[in-house]
Amino acid sequence: MSAPANASAPRTTEVVGYRIPSLGYRILVAGFRLILSFVAFIALPVTVLAYVHSRGVAIPVSIAAVTLWGLALMVLSAARYVLKPTVAYGPLSIAVAGVLFAYLYYLVILSPYRFVVPGGSASVAAGYSTFLEILMIVPAVDFFAGILTTIEDAAHPKERLPFDYPA
Amino acid sequence: MAALVVPTYRQPPGIYRAARALRWVGGIVLVLLIVYAATVAVSAYEAAHATVESRNLSNVLVANGDLDISGSFTLSNPGWYAIEGVQLTARLANTSGVYLGTATAGPQTVDGGSSALFPISIALPIAGSTAAESLLFVDQYIDVNAWANVTYAYLFPLSVTLAESRSWGAPFEGFHATVGTPSMVGGSLFAPVTLLWTNHASFVEQGSISFIVDSAGGATCGGGSDPMDVAPDSAYDETEPVTLNPGCSPLGGELLASVTIDGSSTPLPPEPIP
Repeated sequence: MSAPANASAPRTTEVVGYRIPSLGYRILVAGFRLILSFVAFIALPVTVLAYVHSRGVAIPVSIAAVTLWGLALMVLSAARYVLKPTVAYGPLSIAVAGVLFAYLYYLVILSPYRFVVPGGSASVAAGYSTFLEILMIVPAVDFFAGILTTIEDAAHPKERLPFDYPA
Repeated sequence: MAALVVPTYRQPPGIYRAARALRWVGGIVLVLLIVYAATVAVSAYEAAHATVESRNLSNVLVANGDLDISGSFTLSNPGWYAIEGVQLTARLANTSGVYLGTATAGPQTVDGGSSALFPISIALPIAGSTAAESLLFVDQYIDVNAWANVTYAYLFPLSVTLAESRSWGAPFEGFHATVGTPSMVGGSLFAPVTLLWTNHASFVEQGSISFIVDSAGGATCGGGSDPMDVAPDSAYDETEPVTLNPGCSPLGGELLASVTIDGSSTPLPPEPIP
């Protein structure tokens, strides 16, 4: 029996499946991720700020602002995870990166952090804008990654699913 | 879980790989920055216990008509990262707010886990009636406005400003000279000259004090010289009979004194003789 003319095709094209976790499972995992992002975006910074404030030192950013920005990042990150199998993943990735970028920019314009040492006559101005500007590389890169995913999903829907959720 | 099987390529599409690579880059940068920030935070906590040890900051030496304030301080950096470009500038003004001078130190780098010595010096000319002259004779408060700029852990610039008043002990606090009533002793005319002050400086005034008594017309009636060895917080109160030149009356004149310490002579303000 001779091989068909297109016999070489199966050597480069293979049948690969994907297994998308159920919505309930994704929501459950997103809930656990919410706990981590709550610690990272809200609990930790708010604790540090409250501690500094309790020592009589002016804080560079309000606790309310940190909480609001943190909530926005938490919700968007969780939604992005839950909707990862859908075409909303790319736009949500862009949104998360955009919000994080805006948050960092908001912190940059508050630099330098000026405070008076309690009980003394010394005042300190601490600049941290350079560090934050380097940190802004992270959302900038994620922003472009989100754009690429959006383009991919628009051009070839579900093409990435076998690689995101291999069976 | 819903399982679907569709034909596809095992090799991910290029755009997918590009997006994944970007996310990896972002993740690696994030992890590196978090680790860096954590080490900076721990190091800064250590550096917050940095000690500034002053040495001889209150040393005062009157020399060449200048009031020299020199000293040094040692800055220790127990943190991991270097404190770079440490530069200190201190602006001094007297109680009345009159500018006296500026002292600077640095720039210098204090590596992590080490310390560095910063010498500082300020020379205040006291000849004539400059604002600094009062520092010799009047205890007062000196306004010190100091600021220091440093860079910590390469990325974090810090600027520290300090404004405070420091008490100043004058080396010739309350300097006063009086010429007593002349009297004839053994055919010569003598006048008792009394010099008194209190040393409120931190150094020992060791040397000599010399003086001349001038008449109202500016003629020199007489003079004298005495050794002096005045410890801090001690008073100098000496009376010496001075032989006056015949026909020279000190009334209405003035007494001019100068101190010599370490071979350098500094004039003291003229004291009028009533």
